[in-house]
Amino acid sequence: MDQFLKRNLSIISFIFIPILFLWHPNWLGIMGIQPYWPLFWLLPWSMIHGSINGLIVGLFLGIILDSISIGGGFTQIPGLMLCGIWFGRFSKSDNVVVSHFKYGLICAIGSFLCGSFYFFQFLIQEFPYNKFFLFSPSVKNVLAQVFLTGLLAPLFCSQLFGLFKRSKEKMF
Amino acid sequence: MLNIRRIYNGRWRHKKKKAILFIFLLFLVFVRFAKGSFYKDFYYYISKPFWPGQFQREVISSSLDQELLIKSKQLENDNKRLREILSLQRLSDSETISAAVISRKNGSWWRQIILNKGSKHGVEVGSPVIGPGGLLGRVKNTSFLTSSVILLTSPESKVGVWIDRVQKQGLMVGTGNDYPKLTFYTKDVDIKVGDFVSSSPASTVLPPNIPVGIIQSVDANSNSNKTVNVLLLGKPQAIDWVQILKMKI
Repeated sequence: MDQFLKRNLSIISFIFIPILFLWHPNWLGIMGIQPYWPLFWLLPWSMIHGSINGLIVGLFLGIILDSISIGGGFTQIPGLMLCGIWFGRFSKSDNVVVSHFKYGLICAIGSFLCGSFYFFQFLIQEFPYNKFFLFSPSVKNVLAQVFLTGLLAPLFCSQLFGLFKRSKEKMF
Repeated sequence: MLNIRRIYNGRWRHKKKKAILFIFLLFLVFVRFAKGSFYKDFYYYISKPFWPGQFQREVISSSLDQELLIKSKQLENDNKRLREILSLQRLSDSETISAAVISRKNGSWWRQIILNKGSKHGVEVGSPVIGPGGLLGRVKNTSFLTSSVILLTSPESKVGVWIDRVQKQGLMVGTGNDYPKLTFYTKDVDIKVGDFVSSSPASTVLPPNIPVGIIQSVDANSNSNKTVNVLLLGKPQAIDWVQILKMKI
C-alpha cells in the first residue's frame, strides 16, 4: 500500500486539485480571491515530465476544472495547456533561493496568462451586455490572483517537486 | 387613709396617636407639594382594566387583522389565478427545500455556491435560491446530490427586477464584483438611492416580489439608458443555509 501510494503520488495529488479548487479557503485569499491552485501542481509535474506531458495534463486539468465551475461558455483549458507546454521547458535550479524565486515568478506569469485568457473570453462574449462594467473587477481579479499565486508558489511547488521526483525515481 | 392615686396607663397610646398624626400630616404635605402625582399614578394602575375603549380597541384591532388576512388571502388567490392565466412563474405548493452551502466562490471569476441538495431531493435547474435577506441566485446545474448556484454577482447572471416606488422594470447584470448593475432602457426613470429592488412581477424566470437589494448609487455617465449599482440584501459570503424555491409554470 505504501509503495502504491509513493508510486502513484502524482495521480493521487492530481485528484485533490479540484477538491482544493472547490474548497476555496477564504483565509488564504485576498478580497475573496484565491491563488490559481492548478498551477502549483502543473509546474513541478511539467518540469519533471516535459512539455508534451504538460500539455496533456493541462488539458485534463482544464476539463475537470471547467466541469466543476459554472463558466457558461468560458474555459480554462487554453491557459492551462499553454502553461503545461511552457512549464515543461524549465528545469530546477541548483541554488535553493533561485529555485524558489523561479517557482514564484513562473507561477505568477502563468496565472497572469490564464487570468488574461479568461478575461478576454468574458470581454468578447459579454461585451454587448456589460460594456466596460467588467473591466475594473476583472483587472482586480487578475492582479490579486497573480500576486497570491506568485507568493505561495515557492512553498507548494518546491514540496511537490521533491515528492514527484522521488515518485518518478521509484517508478523506474 | 386611702392613698388614692390615679395610675395613668394611656400615655404611650397618646404618643403613638400623635406620631401617626404627624406621619399622616407629612404625607399630606408630600401630596400637596407633589400635586397629587402619587395619587394619579396609583389611580392609573388600578383603573387600567376599566378604561373605556380598551376592550373595544382590542376588538377593533383583532377585526382589522382578520379583515387584512382575508384580503391578503383573496389577493393571493387572485394573483395565483392571474399568473396562471398569463403563464408566469409561481411558487409550487410544496414551496422550499432547505440546503447547506458546501462550497463557496464569491470573490473570483467563478461566483458560485454549491449546495448539499441535488436532483435526488427534487432540485431543478433554474430554481431561485434565497437566503436571509433575499435572492442569492439561481440553480445552474444539478448533480444527484448537489446543485450549483450561479450568484447574482456573477457576470453571467442576468435577471429582470422591479422598482416598486416608480413601478419600473430593469435588467440586473452581475459585473464580477459585489455590486451588480441595474440598467433601465430609458433615461426618464426617477430612481433614487435607497429605492427597494425586488424580483419582477412579470418575470417568467423568478417568482414575483422576492427582495433583491437596494439602490446604492446612480451612474451619471450613461447616455441613452440609466444605470445604477445595487447593494444586494442576501450576502452569499456569510450565509451557510439557503432555501431553494420550487417553481411551477
